[in-house]
Amino acid sequence: MSHSLAVCQSQPIVSLTDVCLQFGDFAALTKVDFEIFPGQTLALLGHNGAGKSSLIKLILGLYQPTRGQINIADKKQLNLGYLPEDVSFYDKLTGKEVLSYFAALKQVNPSKVNQLIEEFELGYAQHRPLKTYSKGMKQRLGVAQAILSEPQVLLLDEPTVGLDPQASQFLYKKIDQLKHQGCAVVVCTHELAMIEQHLDRAFLMAKGHKLASGTLSELRKLSGLNTHITMTAIEQRIKGDRYLQSLCRDNALEVGTNQRDEMIKYLVATKNITDFNVLEPSLMDVYRYFMRQVFELETSAATVQPSRTDTPLFQQLLRYFKPQVGKGHYE
Amino acid sequence: MNSRISTSPIVIVANKELRDSLRNRWVLFMGSLFLLLSLSITFAGSAVRGEFVLPALTQLMSNLSTVSVFIIPLAAILLSYDSFIGEQESGTLLLLLTYPISRTQILIGKLIGHSVVMMITISCSFGLTAILLYFVSGKYDAIELLNAFVVFITSSYLLAAYFIVLGYIVSLSVTEKAKAVAGLLFLWFLFVLVYDLLFLAILVADFSFVGERVTHVLIALNPTDLYRAINVINLDDTNASVFFVNDVTLNKGVMYLVTAAWVGCLTAVSLKIFKYKH
Ligand SMILES: Nc1ncnc2c1ncn2[C@@H]1O[C@H](COP(=O)(O)OP(=O)(O)OP(=O)(O)O)[C@@H](O)[C@H]1O
Ligand SMILES: [Mg+2]
Repeated sequence: MSHSLAVCQSQPIVSLTDVCLQFGDFAALTKVDFEIFPGQTLALLGHNGAGKSSLIKLILGLYQPTRGQINIADKKQLNLGYLPEDVSFYDKLTGKEVLSYFAALKQVNPSKVNQLIEEFELGYAQHRPLKTYSKGMKQRLGVAQAILSEPQVLLLDEPTVGLDPQASQFLYKKIDQLKHQGCAVVVCTHELAMIEQHLDRAFLMAKGHKLASGTLSELRKLSGLNTHITMTAIEQRIKGDRYLQSLCRDNALEVGTNQRDEMIKYLVATKNITDFNVLEPSLMDVYRYFMRQVFELETSAATVQPSRTDTPLFQQLLRYFKPQVGKGHYE
Repeated sequence: MNSRISTSPIVIVANKELRDSLRNRWVLFMGSLFLLLSLSITFAGSAVRGEFVLPALTQLMSNLSTVSVFIIPLAAILLSYDSFIGEQESGTLLLLLTYPISRTQILIGKLIGHSVVMMITISCSFGLTAILLYFVSGKYDAIELLNAFVVFITSSYLLAAYFIVLGYIVSLSVTEKAKAVAGLLFLWFLFVLVYDLLFLAILVADFSFVGERVTHVLIALNPTDLYRAINVINLDDTNASVFFVNDVTLNKGVMYLVTAAWVGCLTAVSLKIFKYKH
């Protein structure tokens, strides 16, 4: 996360302002603002049909926005890498031929093809036609295709689907490498635990709307989810401390994310406790929180709980989702 | 694959299409089919009579073109029907569009690749037929035979190109592979059979308004008729009777040009369709 600080000052390499995308009378994207920065990995998250793939295709110019602007720095010379969500390459060609084909089109040196084939452990199958490849092998090839040219902007649509754990790990290692070379990476994925360690920012969407975006800690703050502090023999150690007891639930102290540091200071200073674990809300927790907001809004329909209506997030959600009350459910 | 840094995207795409068809054994299969057909047409007469008698060259070319006018368009359609809809269904077309290659380059690359495939198939099978004819029969004049087959092969190629591009247009316009096949078979039927039947009906009915000019126009409108006309006129022999072409005095060069113009026209149309595709 140290990265994002430096990056925040730089210019976005791609920015979408107030973008709408319409398929007939179905709104796939509504008023989406979106930015990606060089040297940053952005996790694009949302339920099935939220509009993630459509957003990526908009950036690539494969779809034209119905409304709004898409600004891409240096569009002509921009070196792009893209992995579509379900691509099946030319069945009759061999793995090496397919990769060489894409390398030639991008004017990438053929030695890079060999290197990637080795790195993705496809060497033993490189001269076999693709129709003999397993799903994961094809996916490896697709990923290799996307990073062939060491792109400036890398857009990966569910890249880890079908990959085994080692291959996924290797992919994220590659992503981190490219990021450190200044590549702007967008990864659309449903495997939150895997991307959590590698993302700089996350962009959450539902039903074609932007729900929230920011660094993980910003999203934690925005969600108001609590931090859990655990330690051994917690009951005994907080005995007599009314304040701590009031915060204790399920063998953990629950504090708001902004009170975390104070709590740690308190524990160290007054109780001399240092062997505690701080459990921040995970990306999954944050994701579930935001999706639940949408879900609850839809089911509660017009009978809005008054306690929530005063938060800006709620107002925002209300504006977005109220007109579509009762369609589907998300959690 | 030759992937020198400077290779043009068109060449890269053409190369890939060629490789795909060779891998598919498409060339081998179609080439054998063409060869088999042309050999059986050539030597069928002998088999029937039980002795080795070959027809006159004019008759032979007329027979050959009557059959190839059916199978060459069919082969071309089979080659091109899934060029775009196939890649669209598999997702590679979308991916290609994010590459530094224009839509025009993709289409022209495919056209060159498929044309080379048809050229190889046509030249090998019919070239072999010509060589066999020359050596086995010893009856035909080498120059005449060469002339007949050069015209036959080049016009066959033009005919193939026309149907390849027709395949692109359909492939670009449909939403499913199956629809592309159905649509193209319908067009094939229309161009190769129905058109001629209607044409023949008009000629037989001998409407007074059907003059030579109208006949010419009707031929020029359909590249399969142009193809037959080119191959019959080439031998400059009025005995050759293929449907209606006896009384036609369209110049061979003009007919080549008209066919090429048709190919150019359809290519322009397919480029336009590709350009405005979603
Ligand atoms: N070509 C299209 N025509 C009509 N509707 C479309 C088209 N493409 C996408 N949609 C609709 O737009 C919405 C967003 O689709 P999109 O593929 O962007 O979702 P997604 O977030 O990528 O979902 P997933 O996680 O399942 O991949 C969906 O409701 C989908 O039905
Ligand atoms: Mg998707």
